[in-house]
Amino acid sequence: MKRISKFLPYLALALIGAPFLTMYIGFFLRAFGEGSQLGVLPERLGASNFSFLWKPIVWGLGQTTVWRVLFNTMLFACISGVIVTVVCMLAGYAVSRVDFKGKNMFLALQLFLHAVPGQILLIAIFFLLYYTRLLHTIPGVALARASLEIPLGVWIAKGFFDAVPWDVERAAMIDGCTRLQVWYRIFLPLVKPGIAAVFIWGFLFAWHDFIYAYTLLPGTAKLMSTLIQSLLATEVIDYGYLAALSLVYMIPPLTLFILLQRVLLKVPLFGGKGL
Amino acid sequence: MMKITLKDLCKYFQQVKAVDNLNLRINAGEFVALLGPSGCGKTTTLLTIAGFYKPDRGEIYFDDRLVNDLPPRLRNIGMVFQSYALYPHMTVLQNIAFPLKIRKTPKDQWRRRAVEMAKLLGIADLLDRKPGQLSGGQQQRVALARSLIREPRLLLLDEPLSNLDAKLRLMMRAELKRLQKELDITTIFVTHDQVEAMTMADRIAVLKEGHLQQVGSPDELYDHPCNMFVASFIGTPPMNLLEAEIEASGGGFKVRTPNFSIVIPKSLASKIKHIPNSRKVVLGIRPEDIEVGQGELESTVYVVEPLGRDALITLDIAGVKLKALAPSHERYELNQKINFSFPVERTHLFAKDTGKSLYKEV
Repeated sequence: MKRISKFLPYLALALIGAPFLTMYIGFFLRAFGEGSQLGVLPERLGASNFSFLWKPIVWGLGQTTVWRVLFNTMLFACISGVIVTVVCMLAGYAVSRVDFKGKNMFLALQLFLHAVPGQILLIAIFFLLYYTRLLHTIPGVALARASLEIPLGVWIAKGFFDAVPWDVERAAMIDGCTRLQVWYRIFLPLVKPGIAAVFIWGFLFAWHDFIYAYTLLPGTAKLMSTLIQSLLATEVIDYGYLAALSLVYMIPPLTLFILLQRVLLKVPLFGGKGL
Repeated sequence: MMKITLKDLCKYFQQVKAVDNLNLRINAGEFVALLGPSGCGKTTTLLTIAGFYKPDRGEIYFDDRLVNDLPPRLRNIGMVFQSYALYPHMTVLQNIAFPLKIRKTPKDQWRRRAVEMAKLLGIADLLDRKPGQLSGGQQQRVALARSLIREPRLLLLDEPLSNLDAKLRLMMRAELKRLQKELDITTIFVTHDQVEAMTMADRIAVLKEGHLQQVGSPDELYDHPCNMFVASFIGTPPMNLLEAEIEASGGGFKVRTPNFSIVIPKSLASKIKHIPNSRKVVLGIRPEDIEVGQGELESTVYVVEPLGRDALITLDIAGVKLKALAPSHERYELNQKINFSFPVERTHLFAKDTGKSLYKEV
């Protein structure tokens, strides 16, 4: 009896995990399987689905290479991540430390903005980018994409700045720092996990963005998401090929997570004893 | 060295008057304590002097210069915070040298001066550590070194001893006092601990609910408290306060408590400025002024608390409790009948309604 109750939680967890696990197993089997167009189990394992790594990718009348698309996606996500980080680190400090009229209203509005789906802004953004001559450029669209993540990013950053004690800031100001120097020399080193969190935030959402890239970038400037979509839109769909492509699509954000994990977990000890 | 003048200083937080009409002059080189219970406005006063809060009304002068609008970094002050507020990402050396580095002092200079300062405070062997690796007492020395390195003209200390254990606090108390006199820096010290204030400060400013109660040397506050609040706040154990009535009697006064009365002779009566119309007063007697075992006043021993050198005895006079300090070598039994007396010239008289001392100010 005791034994059964000991295994019960594991059983429950296994049941909950099973659907996700099955999907991932299916996904990997597809990516590394050969000759299994209709059946579930592949005839043999191999890397032939990854042929796009050295061959051009063709859809309809267009063609490109996976390296170009990966580069585009990386550029797009990095620009967005950097913009989100810079803006949120400055704004987060301001809303955490500076008192100004309508601050609470401003903060509430930020949350509200995040509740608005980005798609409804597409037409407005289209015209904005068109008139600023940024339409159909990766930096331009990345800028628009970043603006969607900034509202909640400011809140994330604010949380990290709030955790720095006032006395540390006051001490720095007594010691001769201007506000900007306090931000740069005291706060930024202390909120490193926050910088990483906000960058990941901006990077990830741009990395897996589809609708903005699909609408505002030209068909020749493909990102991974829009490339996969165009392959799905062809008449003959090679699922193994798509699974392999998706696997490559997953690797960079996973790597980023693993790289930044150590920074994310490193929370400094503030002030002095008992704080 | 710099003298500080606070003129009609007011700082409000919405409806709360944190500091109200504070007038205070601090002489060059003086060690002044701002003393009061928590929420009395002492830290607000300190932060206003430092420049973090703008006064809502009134002026702050450093020497003769009005500094109301001067940002903290230009005030040339040093400050030690209750939490020490060290920079956790820098080593001790970098912490101490930070005020110099931010002013672009050449490296060989800031290094030399930081090491000197660390030696002065006895932390020279800790220079490569991070604040997280230090004990509370060490952190405090680092904070002190950082605040002193730029040779500030004013040093602000916000409850610097309250996070230390009792033994260390006693040691730092003496050391801080010595250091302040050695460096001859005008210093303002915020504390809620009257013993700290009494032992360290040249003068003490007692605050309550944003209002200055009294300023004076520790002796002045102890001997001539201007009201009941100061009287009960200064001195351990606190002063006994007994309700009484006062009446004129043969050139002097007679003070009658429910259980005994005392006569204030002519010589003392001349120092009394006025008698409240209600004639209701409060008689204050310090426990250390009461002599147990002699005199005409009768009481029973309610409880005895040995303090080592002395014993604190609670006397019961028909239900009224009175605390007295007596030498501990005497033995006292519970409920033992015992006589006591106190010198009339050491007593204090306050008006019951306003709490103000009846005696003229000295």
